[in-house]
Amino acid sequence: MAADLLRSLLRRPAGMISACLLLLLYGAALFAPFLSPTIPSAQDLSRTYHPPTALVWQNGHLSVRLYRLVDPSTATYEPLPDQTATLRWFSHGPAYKFFWLIPSTRHLFTVSSPATIYLLGSDATGRDVFTRLLYGAGISLSIGLIGVALTSFLGLTIGGLAGYLGGWPDTLAMRLTEFLMAVPGLYLLLALRAALSSRFPSDATFLLIVVILSALGWAGTARVVRGLVLSLRERPFILAANVIGQRPWTILFRHLLPNTFSYLIVAATLSVPGYILGEAALSFLGLGIQEPSSSWGLMLGQAQDIKIFMLNFWWLLTPGLAIILTVIAFNLLGDALRDAVDPRFRLPGK
Amino acid sequence: MAQPVFPIALCALLLLSACSPPPKVSRQTHPLPAGVDIARSEIGRSGGVFIDSSPGEPSTFNPLVSEDATSGGFIGLFLDSLVHNNAVTQEVEPGLAARWDIAPDNRTFTFHLRPGVLWSDGHPFSADDVLFTFQAIYDPRFPNRAAFDLSVDGQKFKVEKIDDLTVRLTTPQIYAPFLETVGGVGLLPKHELEPAFRDGTLLKSWNVSVAQKEPQRLLATGAFRLRSYQPAERIVFEANPHYWRADAQGVRLPYVDFLVTKLVKDANASTLAFATGQTDAEGLSPDNVAWIDRYASRYGFSVFNRGPSPNTGFIWFNQNPGHDTAGKPFVTPYKLAWFTDRRFRQAISHGIDRQGLVRGVLFGRGQPLWGPETPANKKWYNPNVTQYPYDPARSRALLAEAGFQIGPDQKLHDRQGNLVEFTLNSNQENQLRVNMATAFKENMRDLGITVNLSFLDFGTLVGKIQDSYDYEAGMLGLTGGGDPAGGISVFSSKGRLHQWYPNQKTPATPWEARIDQLMSDQLHTLDYPTRKKYFDEVQKIMSDETPFIYLVTANAYVGIKDRWKNIRIPPLGSLVWNLDELWTPLLTP
Amino acid sequence: MIPFILRRLTTLVPMLLAVTLLVFILMSLAPGDFLTPVKAQRDINPALIAELQKSFGLDRPWYQQYALWLGNVLHLDFGYSWTYKVPVAQLIAQRAPATILLSITSLLLAWTLAIPLAVLAAARPGGWIDRLTSAAAYFALAIPEFFLALLAVWMAARTGWFPIGGLTSLDYDFLSPAAQFLDIAHHLILPTLVLGLGGVAGTLRVLRANVLDVLQAEYITAARAKGLSEKVVLFRHVLRNALNPLLSTIGYAFAGLLSGSLLVENVMNYPGLGRLVYEAFIREDQFVVLGSVVVACSLLIVGNLLSDLALAWSDPRVRYGR
Repeated sequence: MAADLLRSLLRRPAGMISACLLLLLYGAALFAPFLSPTIPSAQDLSRTYHPPTALVWQNGHLSVRLYRLVDPSTATYEPLPDQTATLRWFSHGPAYKFFWLIPSTRHLFTVSSPATIYLLGSDATGRDVFTRLLYGAGISLSIGLIGVALTSFLGLTIGGLAGYLGGWPDTLAMRLTEFLMAVPGLYLLLALRAALSSRFPSDATFLLIVVILSALGWAGTARVVRGLVLSLRERPFILAANVIGQRPWTILFRHLLPNTFSYLIVAATLSVPGYILGEAALSFLGLGIQEPSSSWGLMLGQAQDIKIFMLNFWWLLTPGLAIILTVIAFNLLGDALRDAVDPRFRLPGK
Repeated sequence: MAQPVFPIALCALLLLSACSPPPKVSRQTHPLPAGVDIARSEIGRSGGVFIDSSPGEPSTFNPLVSEDATSGGFIGLFLDSLVHNNAVTQEVEPGLAARWDIAPDNRTFTFHLRPGVLWSDGHPFSADDVLFTFQAIYDPRFPNRAAFDLSVDGQKFKVEKIDDLTVRLTTPQIYAPFLETVGGVGLLPKHELEPAFRDGTLLKSWNVSVAQKEPQRLLATGAFRLRSYQPAERIVFEANPHYWRADAQGVRLPYVDFLVTKLVKDANASTLAFATGQTDAEGLSPDNVAWIDRYASRYGFSVFNRGPSPNTGFIWFNQNPGHDTAGKPFVTPYKLAWFTDRRFRQAISHGIDRQGLVRGVLFGRGQPLWGPETPANKKWYNPNVTQYPYDPARSRALLAEAGFQIGPDQKLHDRQGNLVEFTLNSNQENQLRVNMATAFKENMRDLGITVNLSFLDFGTLVGKIQDSYDYEAGMLGLTGGGDPAGGISVFSSKGRLHQWYPNQKTPATPWEARIDQLMSDQLHTLDYPTRKKYFDEVQKIMSDETPFIYLVTANAYVGIKDRWKNIRIPPLGSLVWNLDELWTPLLTP
Repeated sequence: MIPFILRRLTTLVPMLLAVTLLVFILMSLAPGDFLTPVKAQRDINPALIAELQKSFGLDRPWYQQYALWLGNVLHLDFGYSWTYKVPVAQLIAQRAPATILLSITSLLLAWTLAIPLAVLAAARPGGWIDRLTSAAAYFALAIPEFFLALLAVWMAARTGWFPIGGLTSLDYDFLSPAAQFLDIAHHLILPTLVLGLGGVAGTLRVLRANVLDVLQAEYITAARAKGLSEKVVLFRHVLRNALNPLLSTIGYAFAGLLSGSLLVENVMNYPGLGRLVYEAFIREDQFVVLGSVVVACSLLIVGNLLSDLALAWSDPRVRYGR
């Protein structure tokens, strides 16, 4: 069934393109340490607010221009005429760990010291914005996936049980979801974040945000699953399973829930953007991911700072564009999936 | 403003809203009071609107309630006090009291009020208002901040009325900052507020709601009176027609007709408003000067360097030897041993590249800081404190002397072989501080020391520092400046903000005992050179022992539109110190 | 119908109780309280802090504070703002008009743009209008509101075409009524665009689907068979029926009045409730937070009720069920 879905998805151009785009984005996030020329914490206080280094073709090699700090009091740089440094491919650079395990020093491209390459410029302490963007992708993108996995699990279990069992568990679960959906989301987000912040060490903020977003998000999924289970419960094959005396748990997990699977995939895909935007909003307000980690929302939040606003506007644009691209890709993919599954399927509240 | 191609309808709209004539103002003319104060500044011309912005809403217009600087600033515009602290010279000057005598016991102060001064509603100002103000402040029904500032060891000042224009205040013992503190007390109108005082609602009067609906009830003795208040939008003050100052030609001050304050969300928005020509004055941080200069000619403003700001930034280690209720020490004992070792702290201090911080983070607009006061506090700053220039070799030597050594892993270990590693806590709201912390981490790595950074909500951080004490190192800032008496809670070992080990019963070290003694001594003499000598020694000890490892101080800047004359910019405090003397030859911006 | 409304409104009370209780617990779990910033000032006396704590009731356990608040609410007293020393109801009433104004203008924008575009797009599915609008809608739905708000502020700062933040100019008090109206309109343009864009895209997508559905109905075929022009069919017959389900979105818009614009208001410096509420959250000004939660939650429930009523009114097939 999953293979069918995939096949019909790939037949649609929108689905195809968005799937490729997402693969690319997640690939970039996964291989961020290798793809970036340095590590996100490497600073250079003598090169703050550096403009993006221009790439030129010189002597048959791709090279970067070198710059000179003209006026430190206004962070004005000017390119040095005819001075370049050649890009070195697959060379050694700052040490990092691949997938948090394999130590390595190899980077896709670097330039030899003391020259530096800032594809998107540098920030207030001379860190490479491009590197931070790539590393930030890992956090921003995985929050979506982990959050959705968590809420799908919660929603599937609670919604499935409620729909199948009926009676008071159903009432209880539905009142709970109604309650969660009646609280203005942003308020609860702020309150939860304030309450939980001291219970998580600051390097576990990532976890905290996933927990908060999932705690608010499962209600919608649970209601969808419950509705599906309710309609499936009366279908002949379930009635038949009942008649031949299969145990309720077997019926629920073998027959009912697998049949909601395709809908769940659609719902999950369409709700990933919510998590990415949620993390961005929280970090933007300064309540999400913390320095020295980086995420797209955090970078956008820092770009609110008025001097970056006026000095380095591209810095603001890049994480914003990355978010927009990702969200469009997920929405396109979700819509294509839905068309493949059932064009008339609507998510609650959409 | 540049307005290239733009839809016609909107253009018309812009013209309509931009070209409205400046407000016509006919000022009420009242005779000058007998005790009028003649300004010595250049003679100007009346009229004009001065526009500034405030990153924050006033929370009240009642001085008894005000705890924040924003509200305090607005209150200071319309409520005057007995004496003024001249922010430029840091001297005390006459205010509503034309002169005062100090009795030989150095505890009795007699103030002679200006004759003929009227409240903005025309009611005469007299000694009764002074008495009423102190009565309200000391009333236990109205807990307020001034009550504590205006008492020594819990004992109130004695306030007596000699006649309608003479008041005598007596302090229970010699109290050094007496004139400065009294200078901060805005005097309240008895005839307006007495009913609220009687029925116990004084703290609720003059709140933001009253300011919005009945602004004329906020009576003024200052240069301005409130005209209107639109929450989250603007506050408009107008010239007080009964103000007691005039220029040499007998023209009543202030020159400007209106003082408009745009209320904006934060400092960013405030800076942006100035950079786009919307406001007349703005305090600028060094990182913003870097780009704002580009707009100077377009909008006709200049940026002035006020010199070093009074803000200090520092790192400290938790030296609290106590333990929590479960018996767990606040600081791991072997780490406590490092933190209480002066050589360790000095080594850290030598390892910080302050010039690099100034150059990178502050765009070269600042200077390294070595002691608790910055040069901004001209009257009290001690330039001869111990300095710790960037010198990693010296750091290593000091660390070696204290028994630390670099292990085979290229990391620093103490005598027992423990890895030298600590977590630095700071608050996340301040981007400049975040940048400094990340730079500090890199500096320490060069010494083989591992620093973990933890950025917390301000509330969580204060909780750790003041209540639970479960942290290793912290990074914060304090605004210095002003009288040394304001620093007692920091320097005295009993103090709440004695952050490395607060609320000590008895001083933990001889040098802390010495500071306690000096801080107490300086409080009980009125003689400036003696006080200065004592406070100089406090600053010296602080730099020798480095419980606070001071980092850098940024320069402060003010941007002001060129059309304003008589500008006097103080090194500390408000942007323009003499708003009543400002004037402009160009009435429209 | 009346019993239906009453039944729905009675669910409001337990809901509000639960929500306020939850928010109260969460706030008491949060580190620090309203007085934390005061404690960090260097020249403030500990005795004053203790007195303020007592006067705010912060020295008591949270359940006592909550019970006290609840008791006052029964007398319709929502407490005082600690920051402003003004009753909460008054404070909210002070800031609400600006937020409501913005909500209305952005809703109007969404409808005036989305309705004609949706009809045109659905008239020729797959045509260039359809492709263009659906691409634009994908894009508009993907832009985080706060990012768009930032771009708008940047644009205003760079060009000077629009005021940055606020709802009125500094000389507003001195303007003629007509100029005052234009002044407010000028200030509203950017926030409305930012807040309305998502609404345009959302409405567009829903409406397009509805129009497509209606187009396949038999009575439309009949209308066409009668020889009515395509324009009349589209705008007279199709649109009217396709709009019905949209009525329900009015209720949702009502529900989002308070919390919908929080981020945008804060980024764009708009003087509405969003700024007040966010500041209250950050400062832990308890009663303002609780008051705004009560208002927002009530709006949400009443808004949903309105949606259901509008739907029932426009579509006789919907009955007032449980």
